[in-house]
Amino acid sequence: MREHRVAITGLGAICALGQNVAEAWDALCQGRPGIGTIKSVDVSGLRFQNGAEVRGYDPAFHFDPSRMDLLDRFAQFAVLAAREALRDSGTVWTPGLRESTAVVSGSSVGGQSSQDVGFRELYKLERGRVHPLSILRIMANAGASHISMEFGITGPVYTISTACSSANHAIGLAFRMVRDSEVEMAIAGGSEAPFSLGLLKAWEAMRVIAPDTCRPFSRDRRGMILGEGSGMLVLEPLEAARARGARIHAEIMGFGMSSDAHHITQPSVAGPARAMRAALRDAALRPEQVGYINAHGTGTPGNDPMEARAIHEVFGAHANQLAVSSTKSMHGHALGAAGALEAVATILALREGILPPTANFTAPDPECNLDVIPNRARPAKVECALSNSFAFGGLNAVLVFRAYSG
Amino acid sequence: MTDSVAEKVVGMLASVKHIPRERITLDSSLQDLGFDSLDVITMLFELEKEFEIAIPDDEARSVTSVRGIVERIRKLLAAASTDSAPPAN
Repeated sequence: MREHRVAITGLGAICALGQNVAEAWDALCQGRPGIGTIKSVDVSGLRFQNGAEVRGYDPAFHFDPSRMDLLDRFAQFAVLAAREALRDSGTVWTPGLRESTAVVSGSSVGGQSSQDVGFRELYKLERGRVHPLSILRIMANAGASHISMEFGITGPVYTISTACSSANHAIGLAFRMVRDSEVEMAIAGGSEAPFSLGLLKAWEAMRVIAPDTCRPFSRDRRGMILGEGSGMLVLEPLEAARARGARIHAEIMGFGMSSDAHHITQPSVAGPARAMRAALRDAALRPEQVGYINAHGTGTPGNDPMEARAIHEVFGAHANQLAVSSTKSMHGHALGAAGALEAVATILALREGILPPTANFTAPDPECNLDVIPNRARPAKVECALSNSFAFGGLNAVLVFRAYSG
Repeated sequence: MTDSVAEKVVGMLASVKHIPRERITLDSSLQDLGFDSLDVITMLFELEKEFEIAIPDDEARSVTSVRGIVERIRKLLAAASTDSAPPAN
Protein backbone atom coordinates (compact mmCIF):
# COMPACT_ATOMS: atom_id res chain seq x y z
CA MET A 1 0.00 0.00 0.00
CA ARG A 2 1.38 3.39 -1.00
CA GLU A 3 1.29 6.15 1.61
CA HIS A 4 0.86 9.69 0.38
CA ARG A 5 1.55 12.97 2.07
CA VAL A 6 -1.85 14.66 2.23
CA ALA A 7 -2.48 18.27 1.22
CA ILE A 8 -5.40 20.49 2.12
CA THR A 9 -6.36 22.30 -1.07
CA GLY A 10 -9.82 23.59 -0.27
CA LEU A 11 -11.48 25.29 2.70
CA GLY A 12 -15.11 26.14 3.32
CA ALA A 13 -16.82 27.58 6.37
CA ILE A 14 -20.07 29.07 7.54
CA CYS A 15 -20.55 29.97 11.19
CA ALA A 16 -21.40 32.82 13.55
CA LEU A 17 -18.24 34.60 12.39
CA GLY A 18 -19.28 34.76 8.75
CA GLN A 19 -20.77 32.97 5.80
CA ASN A 20 -17.43 32.13 4.17
CA VAL A 21 -13.82 31.44 5.12
CA ALA A 22 -12.60 35.01 4.51
CA GLU A 23 -15.24 36.54 6.82
CA ALA A 24 -14.64 33.92 9.51
CA TRP A 25 -10.86 34.34 9.38
CA ASP A 26 -11.15 38.10 9.61
CA ALA A 27 -13.22 37.78 12.80
CA LEU A 28 -10.79 35.20 14.24
CA CYS A 29 -7.86 37.55 13.62
CA GLN A 30 -9.74 40.44 15.20
CA GLY A 31 -10.70 38.34 18.22
CA ARG A 32 -14.31 39.30 17.52
CA PRO A 33 -16.86 36.82 18.93
CA GLY A 34 -20.06 35.99 17.06
CA ILE A 35 -21.98 35.46 20.29
CA GLY A 36 -25.25 37.23 21.03
CA THR A 37 -28.89 36.79 21.99
CA ILE A 38 -30.37 33.76 20.24
CA LYS A 39 -32.79 34.97 17.57
CA SER A 40 -34.04 31.81 15.85
CA VAL A 41 -35.75 30.42 18.98
CA ASP A 42 -37.85 32.16 21.61
CA VAL A 43 -35.49 31.97 24.58
CA SER A 44 -37.71 33.83 27.05
CA GLY A 45 -38.33 30.59 28.97
CA LEU A 46 -34.68 29.52 29.04
CA ARG A 47 -32.08 30.08 31.73
CA PHE A 48 -29.57 31.14 29.08
CA GLN A 49 -30.13 33.58 26.24
CA ASN A 50 -26.91 33.60 24.23
CA GLY A 51 -25.63 31.56 21.33
CA ALA A 52 -23.39 31.79 18.28
CA GLU A 53 -25.84 31.76 15.38
CA VAL A 54 -25.20 32.28 11.69
CA ARG A 55 -26.56 35.80 11.14
CA GLY A 56 -28.24 37.24 8.07
CA TYR A 57 -28.59 33.82 6.50
CA ASP A 58 -31.22 33.37 3.78
CA PRO A 59 -31.45 29.79 2.49
CA ALA A 60 -33.49 30.94 -0.52
CA PHE A 61 -30.41 32.75 -1.75
CA HIS A 62 -28.56 29.42 -2.01
CA PHE A 63 -31.19 26.76 -2.73
CA ASP A 64 -34.24 26.56 -4.95
CA PRO A 65 -37.55 25.92 -3.15
CA SER A 66 -37.89 22.23 -3.98
CA ARG A 67 -34.34 21.56 -2.77
CA MET A 68 -35.03 23.47 0.43
CA ASP A 69 -37.97 21.19 1.20
CA LEU A 70 -35.45 18.39 1.70
CA LEU A 71 -32.72 20.26 3.54
CA ASP A 72 -32.66 20.87 7.25
CA ARG A 73 -30.52 23.85 8.24
CA PHE A 74 -27.60 21.56 9.23
CA ALA A 75 -27.55 19.96 5.77
CA GLN A 76 -27.76 23.36 4.07
CA PHE A 77 -24.66 24.43 5.97
CA ALA A 78 -22.83 21.24 4.94
CA VAL A 79 -23.58 21.79 1.27
CA LEU A 80 -22.60 25.47 1.41
CA ALA A 81 -19.25 24.76 3.09
CA ALA A 82 -18.54 21.96 0.60
CA ARG A 83 -19.36 24.27 -2.33
CA GLU A 84 -16.91 26.85 -1.04
CA ALA A 85 -14.18 24.27 -0.33
CA LEU A 86 -14.50 22.73 -3.78
CA ARG A 87 -14.53 26.12 -5.50
CA ASP A 88 -11.44 27.05 -3.48
CA SER A 89 -9.68 23.81 -4.47
CA GLY A 90 -10.12 24.43 -8.19
CA THR A 91 -11.15 20.80 -8.62
CA VAL A 92 -11.85 19.80 -12.22
CA TRP A 93 -14.22 16.85 -12.15
CA THR A 94 -13.77 13.80 -14.34
CA PRO A 95 -15.86 10.62 -14.19
CA GLY A 96 -12.89 8.80 -12.66
CA LEU A 97 -12.37 11.43 -9.96
CA ARG A 98 -16.06 11.39 -9.05
CA GLU A 99 -15.82 7.64 -8.47
CA SER A 100 -12.69 8.01 -6.42
CA THR A 101 -13.76 10.86 -4.15
CA ALA A 102 -15.03 10.39 -0.60
CA VAL A 103 -17.32 12.56 1.48
CA VAL A 104 -17.07 12.13 5.25
CA SER A 105 -19.16 14.42 7.39
CA GLY A 106 -19.63 14.74 11.11
CA SER A 107 -22.83 15.66 12.89
CA SER A 108 -23.93 15.12 16.45
CA VAL A 109 -27.65 15.89 16.28
CA GLY A 110 -28.45 15.90 12.54
CA GLY A 111 -31.69 17.55 11.52
CA GLN A 112 -33.01 17.83 15.07
CA SER A 113 -34.80 21.12 14.42
CA SER A 114 -36.94 19.37 11.77
CA GLN A 115 -37.66 16.69 14.35
CA ASP A 116 -38.55 19.37 16.89
CA VAL A 117 -41.04 20.93 14.46
CA GLY A 118 -42.59 17.54 13.64
CA PHE A 119 -42.92 16.42 17.23
CA ARG A 120 -44.43 19.76 18.20
CA GLU A 121 -47.13 19.17 15.57
CA LEU A 122 -47.71 15.70 16.95
CA TYR A 123 -47.55 16.14 20.70
CA LYS A 124 -48.46 19.76 21.30
CA LEU A 125 -50.74 20.65 18.41
CA GLU A 126 -52.14 17.10 18.30
CA ARG A 127 -52.27 17.11 14.53
CA GLY A 128 -51.78 13.37 14.48
CA ARG A 129 -49.21 13.36 11.70
CA VAL A 130 -45.66 14.38 10.92
CA HIS A 131 -44.42 15.85 7.64
CA PRO A 132 -43.51 13.06 5.18
CA LEU A 133 -40.06 14.48 4.41
CA SER A 134 -39.13 14.56 8.09
CA ILE A 135 -36.98 11.43 8.05
CA LEU A 136 -35.01 12.73 5.06
CA ARG A 137 -34.37 16.04 6.81
CA ILE A 138 -33.54 14.52 10.20
CA MET A 139 -31.09 11.78 9.16
CA ALA A 140 -27.56 12.71 10.22
CA ASN A 141 -26.09 11.68 6.86
CA ALA A 142 -28.28 14.15 4.93
CA GLY A 143 -25.42 16.64 4.63
CA ALA A 144 -23.01 14.08 3.19
CA SER A 145 -25.66 12.66 0.87
CA HIS A 146 -26.62 16.07 -0.53
CA ILE A 147 -22.95 16.93 -1.15
CA SER A 148 -22.56 13.62 -2.96
CA MET A 149 -25.66 14.25 -5.11
CA GLU A 150 -24.84 17.87 -5.90
CA PHE A 151 -21.38 17.02 -7.21
CA GLY A 152 -22.07 13.52 -8.54
CA ILE A 153 -19.57 11.98 -6.10
CA THR A 154 -19.92 8.20 -6.10
CA GLY A 155 -17.04 7.06 -3.88
CA PRO A 156 -17.33 6.26 -0.16
CA VAL A 157 -19.79 8.63 1.53
CA TYR A 158 -20.63 8.39 5.22
CA THR A 159 -21.28 10.31 8.41
CA ILE A 160 -19.76 9.98 11.83
CA SER A 161 -21.63 10.91 14.97
CA THR A 162 -19.38 11.12 18.00
CA ALA A 163 -20.89 14.21 19.64
CA CYS A 164 -18.31 17.00 19.87
CA SER A 165 -15.57 14.93 18.22
CA SER A 166 -17.62 14.08 15.10
CA ALA A 167 -15.81 16.40 12.68
CA ASN A 168 -12.33 15.42 13.88
CA HIS A 169 -13.16 11.75 13.49
CA ALA A 170 -14.56 12.51 10.02
CA ILE A 171 -11.51 14.49 8.89
CA GLY A 172 -9.13 11.95 10.43
CA LEU A 173 -10.69 8.97 8.69
CA ALA A 174 -10.90 10.84 5.37
CA PHE A 175 -7.21 11.74 5.77
CA ARG A 176 -6.36 8.07 6.17
CA MET A 177 -8.33 7.09 3.07
CA VAL A 178 -6.36 9.62 1.02
CA ARG A 179 -3.04 8.74 2.63
CA ASP A 180 -3.62 5.03 2.00
CA SER A 181 -4.55 5.52 -1.69
CA GLU A 182 -8.08 4.31 -1.07
CA VAL A 183 -9.45 7.46 -2.72
CA GLU A 184 -7.98 10.25 -4.85
CA MET A 185 -9.72 13.02 -3.01
CA ALA A 186 -11.89 13.57 0.05
CA ILE A 187 -14.27 16.26 1.25
CA ALA A 188 -14.41 16.09 5.01
CA GLY A 189 -15.72 18.16 7.88
CA GLY A 190 -18.84 18.57 9.93
CA SER A 191 -22.06 20.51 10.17
CA GLU A 192 -24.55 21.29 12.89
CA ALA A 193 -27.62 23.42 13.58
CA PRO A 194 -28.58 22.82 17.21
CA PHE A 195 -30.94 25.73 17.77
CA SER A 196 -34.40 24.41 18.55
CA LEU A 197 -36.34 24.90 21.75
CA GLY A 198 -36.34 21.16 22.52
CA LEU A 199 -32.58 20.79 22.25
CA LEU A 200 -31.85 24.08 24.03
CA LYS A 201 -34.03 22.90 26.93
CA ALA A 202 -32.02 19.67 27.06
CA TRP A 203 -28.77 21.67 27.17
CA GLU A 204 -30.24 23.92 29.85
CA ALA A 205 -30.90 20.87 31.99
CA MET A 206 -27.25 19.79 31.61
CA ARG A 207 -26.25 23.06 33.32
CA VAL A 208 -23.16 23.56 31.20
CA ILE A 209 -24.20 26.63 29.18
CA ALA A 210 -22.80 30.00 30.22
CA PRO A 211 -25.35 32.70 30.99
CA ASP A 212 -23.02 35.35 29.57
CA THR A 213 -20.34 34.27 27.14
CA CYS A 214 -17.70 31.62 26.53
CA ARG A 215 -14.42 32.33 28.38
CA PRO A 216 -12.17 29.28 27.90
CA PHE A 217 -9.32 28.90 30.40
CA SER A 218 -10.37 32.12 32.14
CA ARG A 219 -10.81 32.05 35.91
CA ASP A 220 -14.38 33.32 35.69
CA ARG A 221 -15.52 30.95 32.95
CA ARG A 222 -19.11 29.80 33.41
CA GLY A 223 -19.62 27.27 30.64
CA MET A 224 -19.97 26.84 26.93
CA ILE A 225 -21.94 28.75 24.31
CA LEU A 226 -23.66 26.71 21.61
CA GLY A 227 -22.76 27.48 18.01
CA GLU A 228 -23.82 26.33 14.56
CA GLY A 229 -22.42 26.07 11.07
CA SER A 230 -20.16 23.90 8.99
CA GLY A 231 -16.55 23.55 8.00
CA MET A 232 -15.33 21.45 5.08
CA LEU A 233 -11.84 20.59 3.81
CA VAL A 234 -10.69 19.18 0.48
CA LEU A 235 -7.91 16.64 0.94
CA GLU A 236 -5.77 15.10 -1.79
CA PRO A 237 -2.33 13.57 -2.19
CA LEU A 238 0.37 16.23 -2.03
CA GLU A 239 1.97 15.15 -5.30
CA ALA A 240 -1.38 15.28 -7.12
CA ALA A 241 -2.04 18.77 -5.74
CA ARG A 242 1.40 19.91 -6.86
CA ALA A 243 0.99 18.33 -10.29
CA ARG A 244 -2.20 20.25 -10.99
CA GLY A 245 -0.79 23.47 -9.58
CA ALA A 246 -3.32 23.67 -6.74
CA ARG A 247 -2.91 26.08 -3.87
CA ILE A 248 -1.84 24.07 -0.84
CA HIS A 249 -3.08 25.61 2.40
CA ALA A 250 -1.28 23.14 4.69
CA GLU A 251 -0.58 19.46 5.14
CA ILE A 252 -2.50 17.12 7.38
CA MET A 253 0.07 14.93 9.07
CA GLY A 254 -1.61 12.67 11.55
CA PHE A 255 -4.68 11.63 13.47
CA GLY A 256 -5.03 10.06 16.91
CA MET A 257 -8.04 8.61 18.69
CA SER A 258 -8.77 7.26 22.12
CA SER A 259 -11.62 6.80 24.54
CA ASP A 260 -11.73 7.45 28.25
CA ALA A 261 -13.87 4.49 29.33
CA HIS A 262 -14.40 6.59 32.42
CA HIS A 263 -17.54 8.71 32.68
CA ILE A 264 -20.20 9.81 30.21
CA THR A 265 -19.50 13.52 30.80
CA GLN A 266 -16.53 13.96 33.15
CA PRO A 267 -13.38 14.03 31.06
CA SER A 268 -10.22 12.24 32.09
CA VAL A 269 -6.63 13.39 31.65
CA ALA A 270 -5.40 10.04 30.40
CA GLY A 271 -7.77 9.68 27.42
CA PRO A 272 -7.05 13.04 25.76
CA ALA A 273 -3.34 12.62 26.50
CA ARG A 274 -3.33 9.26 24.74
CA ALA A 275 -5.14 10.74 21.72
CA MET A 276 -2.59 13.57 21.45
CA ARG A 277 0.31 11.09 21.72
CA ALA A 278 -1.29 8.82 19.12
CA ALA A 279 -1.70 11.79 16.75
CA LEU A 280 1.96 12.81 17.16
CA ARG A 281 3.08 9.22 16.64
CA ASP A 282 0.90 8.93 13.52
CA ALA A 283 2.46 12.15 12.20
CA ALA A 284 5.99 10.96 13.14
CA LEU A 285 6.54 14.26 14.95
CA ARG A 286 8.31 15.10 18.18
CA PRO A 287 6.32 17.20 20.67
CA GLU A 288 8.88 20.02 20.33
CA GLN A 289 7.86 20.50 16.67
CA VAL A 290 4.38 21.61 17.75
CA GLY A 291 3.98 25.36 18.30
CA TYR A 292 0.21 25.80 18.55
CA ILE A 293 -2.77 23.84 19.81
CA ASN A 294 -6.31 24.76 18.90
CA ALA A 295 -7.79 23.44 22.13
CA HIS A 296 -11.09 21.72 22.69
CA GLY A 297 -11.47 24.54 25.25
CA THR A 298 -15.20 24.53 25.85
CA GLY A 299 -15.09 27.07 28.68
CA THR A 300 -16.73 24.67 31.14
CA PRO A 301 -15.28 24.37 34.62
CA GLY A 302 -14.62 20.65 33.95
CA ASN A 303 -13.00 20.56 30.53
CA ASP A 304 -10.40 23.28 30.62
CA PRO A 305 -8.24 22.24 33.64
CA MET A 306 -8.34 18.63 32.47
CA GLU A 307 -7.20 19.63 28.98
CA ALA A 308 -4.41 21.77 30.43
CA ARG A 309 -3.21 18.84 32.51
CA ALA A 310 -3.34 16.51 29.51
CA ILE A 311 -1.28 18.98 27.45
CA HIS A 312 1.33 19.23 30.22
CA GLU A 313 1.46 15.46 30.48
CA VAL A 314 2.10 15.01 26.75
CA PHE A 315 4.41 17.97 26.12
CA GLY A 316 6.33 18.11 29.42
CA ALA A 317 8.51 21.22 29.67
CA HIS A 318 7.60 22.16 26.08
CA ALA A 319 4.03 22.87 27.25
CA ASN A 320 5.36 26.20 28.52
CA GLN A 321 6.53 27.12 25.00
CA LEU A 322 3.23 26.20 23.36
CA ALA A 323 0.62 28.70 22.31
CA VAL A 324 -2.89 27.35 22.99
CA SER A 325 -6.19 29.00 22.14
CA SER A 326 -9.84 28.10 22.04
CA THR A 327 -11.64 29.65 19.10
CA LYS A 328 -14.91 28.39 20.60
CA SER A 329 -14.74 31.72 22.45
CA MET A 330 -15.71 33.27 19.10
CA HIS A 331 -17.63 30.73 16.93
CA GLY A 332 -19.20 28.96 19.90
CA HIS A 333 -19.35 25.22 20.39
CA ALA A 334 -20.78 23.92 17.14
CA LEU A 335 -20.84 20.29 18.42
CA GLY A 336 -20.38 18.00 15.40
CA ALA A 337 -19.07 20.91 13.32
CA ALA A 338 -16.70 22.20 15.99
CA GLY A 339 -13.62 20.25 14.90
CA ALA A 340 -14.13 21.31 11.29
CA LEU A 341 -14.37 25.03 12.08
CA GLU A 342 -11.33 24.66 14.33
CA ALA A 343 -9.43 22.80 11.59
CA VAL A 344 -10.08 25.75 9.26
CA ALA A 345 -8.82 28.14 11.96
CA THR A 346 -5.72 25.99 12.60
CA ILE A 347 -4.85 25.59 8.92
CA LEU A 348 -5.14 29.34 8.31
CA ALA A 349 -3.09 30.05 11.44
CA LEU A 350 -0.28 27.94 9.95
CA ARG A 351 -0.64 29.44 6.48
CA GLU A 352 -0.88 33.07 7.55
CA GLY A 353 1.44 32.98 10.56
CA ILE A 354 -1.27 34.42 12.81
CA LEU A 355 -2.52 32.54 15.87
CA PRO A 356 -6.16 33.32 16.70
CA PRO A 357 -6.75 34.27 20.31
CA THR A 358 -8.90 33.01 23.15
CA ALA A 359 -11.49 35.79 23.26
CA ASN A 360 -13.45 37.01 26.29
CA PHE A 361 -10.49 36.20 28.54
CA THR A 362 -10.43 38.17 31.78
CA ALA A 363 -8.02 36.50 34.25
CA PRO A 364 -5.71 33.47 34.29
CA ASP A 365 -6.71 30.35 36.19
CA PRO A 366 -3.83 28.56 37.92
CA GLU A 367 -5.61 25.31 37.04
CA CYS A 368 -5.19 26.14 33.33
CA ASN A 369 -1.57 27.22 33.27
CA LEU A 370 -1.13 27.57 29.53
CA ASP A 371 -0.23 30.45 27.22
CA VAL A 372 -3.77 30.91 25.91
CA ILE A 373 -3.19 33.92 23.60
CA PRO A 374 -5.64 36.11 25.52
CA ASN A 375 -7.92 38.32 23.45
CA ARG A 376 -5.47 39.41 20.72
CA ALA A 377 -4.25 37.36 17.79
CA ARG A 378 -0.51 36.81 17.75
CA PRO A 379 1.77 36.85 14.72
CA ALA A 380 3.88 33.67 14.93
CA LYS A 381 5.31 31.30 12.35
CA VAL A 382 4.58 27.83 13.62
CA GLU A 383 5.70 24.57 12.00
CA CYS A 384 3.05 22.19 13.34
CA ALA A 385 -0.25 22.47 15.17
CA LEU A 386 -2.70 20.17 16.90
CA SER A 387 -6.47 20.51 16.94
CA ASN A 388 -8.18 18.78 19.86
CA SER A 389 -11.74 17.50 20.12
CA PHE A 390 -13.03 15.63 23.16
CA ALA A 391 -16.63 14.45 23.25
CA PHE A 392 -19.26 13.57 25.80
CA GLY A 393 -18.97 9.83 26.10
CA GLY A 394 -15.19 10.17 26.49
CA LEU A 395 -14.33 10.04 22.79
CA ASN A 396 -11.16 11.88 21.86
CA ALA A 397 -9.91 12.79 18.37
CA VAL A 398 -6.83 14.87 17.61
CA LEU A 399 -5.60 16.13 14.23
CA VAL A 400 -2.06 17.26 13.39
CA PHE A 401 -1.41 19.87 10.69
CA ARG A 402 1.86 21.24 9.30
CA ALA A 403 2.55 24.49 7.48
CA TYR A 404 3.31 23.85 3.83
CA SER A 405 6.60 25.30 2.79
CA GLY A 406 6.73 24.17 -0.84
CA MET B 1 -61.91 24.61 -12.31
CA THR B 2 -65.49 24.44 -11.22
CA ASP B 3 -65.55 23.86 -7.50
CA SER B 4 -63.68 24.54 -4.32
CA VAL B 5 -62.27 21.01 -3.98
CA ALA B 6 -60.63 21.25 -7.39
CA GLU B 7 -59.42 24.79 -6.66
CA LYS B 8 -57.85 23.72 -3.40
CA VAL B 9 -56.22 20.64 -4.92
CA VAL B 10 -54.66 22.64 -7.73
CA GLY B 11 -53.39 25.29 -5.33
CA MET B 12 -51.89 22.62 -3.15
CA LEU B 13 -50.18 20.79 -6.00
CA ALA B 14 -48.68 24.09 -7.18
CA SER B 15 -47.41 24.83 -3.70
CA VAL B 16 -45.96 21.33 -3.15
CA LYS B 17 -44.15 21.31 -6.49
CA HIS B 18 -43.27 25.03 -6.45
CA ILE B 19 -44.84 25.58 -9.89
CA PRO B 20 -47.39 28.16 -11.14
CA ARG B 21 -50.96 26.95 -10.71
CA GLU B 22 -51.71 27.91 -14.33
CA ARG B 23 -49.61 24.90 -15.37
CA ILE B 24 -52.05 22.55 -13.70
CA THR B 25 -55.37 21.41 -15.20
CA LEU B 26 -57.76 18.62 -14.27
CA ASP B 27 -56.30 16.65 -17.18
CA SER B 28 -52.70 16.93 -15.98
CA SER B 29 -51.07 13.74 -14.83
CA LEU B 30 -48.76 13.85 -11.83
CA GLN B 31 -46.02 12.46 -14.04
CA ASP B 32 -46.44 15.34 -16.53
CA LEU B 33 -46.16 17.79 -13.66
CA GLY B 34 -42.87 16.19 -12.63
CA PHE B 35 -44.07 14.69 -9.34
CA ASP B 36 -41.67 12.14 -7.92
CA SER B 37 -42.46 9.78 -5.06
CA LEU B 38 -41.50 12.37 -2.42
CA ASP B 39 -43.71 15.01 -4.02
CA VAL B 40 -46.58 12.52 -3.93
CA ILE B 41 -46.23 11.74 -0.21
CA THR B 42 -45.93 15.46 0.53
CA MET B 43 -49.07 16.11 -1.53
CA LEU B 44 -50.99 13.38 0.31
CA PHE B 45 -49.88 14.84 3.64
CA GLU B 46 -51.12 18.31 2.65
CA LEU B 47 -54.41 16.95 1.25
CA GLU B 48 -55.12 15.02 4.43
CA LYS B 49 -54.44 18.12 6.50
CA GLU B 50 -56.49 20.48 4.32
CA PHE B 51 -59.56 18.27 3.94
CA GLU B 52 -59.28 16.52 7.33
CA ILE B 53 -59.51 13.11 5.74
CA ALA B 54 -57.43 9.94 5.84
CA ILE B 55 -56.29 8.63 2.47
CA PRO B 56 -55.56 4.90 2.78
CA ASP B 57 -52.16 3.75 1.43
CA ASP B 58 -53.65 1.55 -1.31
CA GLU B 59 -55.81 4.42 -2.59
CA ALA B 60 -52.82 6.75 -2.40
CA ARG B 61 -50.77 4.47 -4.63
CA SER B 62 -53.44 4.41 -7.36
CA VAL B 63 -53.67 8.19 -7.78
CA THR B 64 -52.03 9.36 -11.00
CA SER B 65 -53.96 12.39 -12.26
CA VAL B 66 -55.34 15.65 -10.90
CA ARG B 67 -58.85 14.60 -11.89
CA GLY B 68 -58.37 11.31 -10.05
CA ILE B 69 -57.26 13.12 -6.91
CA VAL B 70 -60.24 15.48 -6.96
CA GLU B 71 -62.65 12.57 -7.45
CA ARG B 72 -61.13 10.55 -4.61
CA ILE B 73 -61.30 13.48 -2.27
CA ARG B 74 -64.93 14.15 -3.14
CA LYS B 75 -65.74 10.51 -2.39
CA LEU B 76 -63.84 10.58 0.88
CA LEU B 77 -65.55 13.81 1.90
CA ALA B 78 -68.96 12.39 0.97
CA ALA B 79 -68.26 9.22 2.95
CA ALA B 80 -67.15 11.27 5.92
CA SER B 81 -70.28 13.41 5.87
CA THR B 82 -72.52 10.31 5.59
CA ASP B 83 -70.72 8.74 8.54
CA SER B 84 -71.22 11.80 10.66
CA ALA B 85 -74.83 12.48 9.59
CA PRO B 86 -77.49 11.86 12.24
CA PRO B 87 -79.54 8.66 11.89
CA ALA B 88 -82.53 8.99 9.51
CA ASN B 89 -85.04 7.98 12.14
